[in-house]
Amino acid sequence: MRELFKNIFGTKPKQSKDDAKQRLKFLLIHDQVDLTPGQLEQMKAEIMEVIARYVEIEGDHGTEFKLAREDGHVALVSSIPVRRVVERAAS
Amino acid sequence: MSECIVITSGKGGVGKTTTTANLGVALARSGAKVAVVDADIGLRNLDVILGLENRIVYDLVHVIEGECRLKQALIRDKRAEGLYLLPAAQTRDKNAVTPAQMRELVRQMKEEFDFVLMDCPAGIEQGFKNAIAGADRAIIVTTPEVSAIRDADRIIGMVEAAELPEPELIINRVRPRMVASGDMMNKEDILEILAIPLLGLVPDHEDVIVTANRGMPAAFDDESIVGEAYRRIARRVKGEKDVPELVLDHDTSFWATLKRWMGLAPTREVAG
Ligand SMILES: Nc1ncnc2c1ncn2[C@@H]1O[C@H](COP(=O)(O)OP(=O)(O)OP(=O)(O)O)[C@@H](O)[C@H]1O
Ligand SMILES: [Mg+2]
Repeated sequence: MRELFKNIFGTKPKQSKDDAKQRLKFLLIHDQVDLTPGQLEQMKAEIMEVIARYVEIEGDHGTEFKLAREDGHVALVSSIPVRRVVERAAS
Repeated sequence: MSECIVITSGKGGVGKTTTTANLGVALARSGAKVAVVDADIGLRNLDVILGLENRIVYDLVHVIEGECRLKQALIRDKRAEGLYLLPAAQTRDKNAVTPAQMRELVRQMKEEFDFVLMDCPAGIEQGFKNAIAGADRAIIVTTPEVSAIRDADRIIGMVEAAELPEPELIINRVRPRMVASGDMMNKEDILEILAIPLLGLVPDHEDVIVTANRGMPAAFDDESIVGEAYRRIARRVKGEKDVPELVLDHDTSFWATLKRWMGLAPTREVAG
């Protein structure tokens, strides 16, 4: 009966193809970028270190750092909130 | 202008041989001179799908080892003008030939044929390397499943690493009802992930099994929807633009009709 109801009103719970897609995206990123979670963390720490030389950043708070896949290519997508530019001696 | 197209997938059993046979038939029936080559050495199959198994005298390895001439090994399919099969050896293995030998074989075949279709074995090892060695172009076959698409992605990378042009995709074994209910990834989902051009969809259909039983590919049958899917794919392979999409199935069940009538179901059909 519940099935019938769902059918009539076309309201479906989460579709299994969405699971498939989600899992695939994750799989393909990790097939392509063969890094362990530990290596990813280290890369993040090192990149943050370099950025901190130029701008003042919020620290880990509000920082986003992830691998994403678009058009068959993996991209490193990050959003790092900046507080202000670090004062530097005029060159 | 002639070209060699390799039909590959990574994952086994997704429909490479079915596709090679049907595309070969459809291209030949459209007037092209076509050779289909079974590069699955040791696991010969294409001859059976085409119903030509009783006519084999020589095979690909015989040609490469110089035991016979190419012309002697080619089997002419009497049902379609211009269609020929070069069978695989059944009692040898993939290491019986090298990529350089395959390149030379293909070069020779391209002098005779408009299209040389290479049925690639599953996997990414020697058999795959041999099959893509002489290819100008690649078609990737996948099914709408996580494992097949994952392997397809891997193969796309390898095709690009081999400096072939961007491969094109055939999505096989599509079940329109499952796509409509959200239990099977649709072509947009798959194209978003694999990001290569689409040649077409082929429905999951009993015609494939019946035609395999008979050794008479669906592309010979003007009534078959599978045959029609491959005929449209063949037109796209030949470069024809704007080939209309084939509506794979229209759900005519009572509930589907009612839902459509009430505007509750997506009116978009599964087509490709
Ligand atoms: N569209 C389809 N509908 C129904 N059955 C299909 C379809 N496509 C393929 N099959 C079935 O799937 C099986 C595998 O097909 P096929 O031999 O073409 O795959 P393959 O990729 O060549 O396999 P292999 O990797 O072993 O060479 C066959 O039994 C075939 O009948
Ligand atoms: Mg096969």
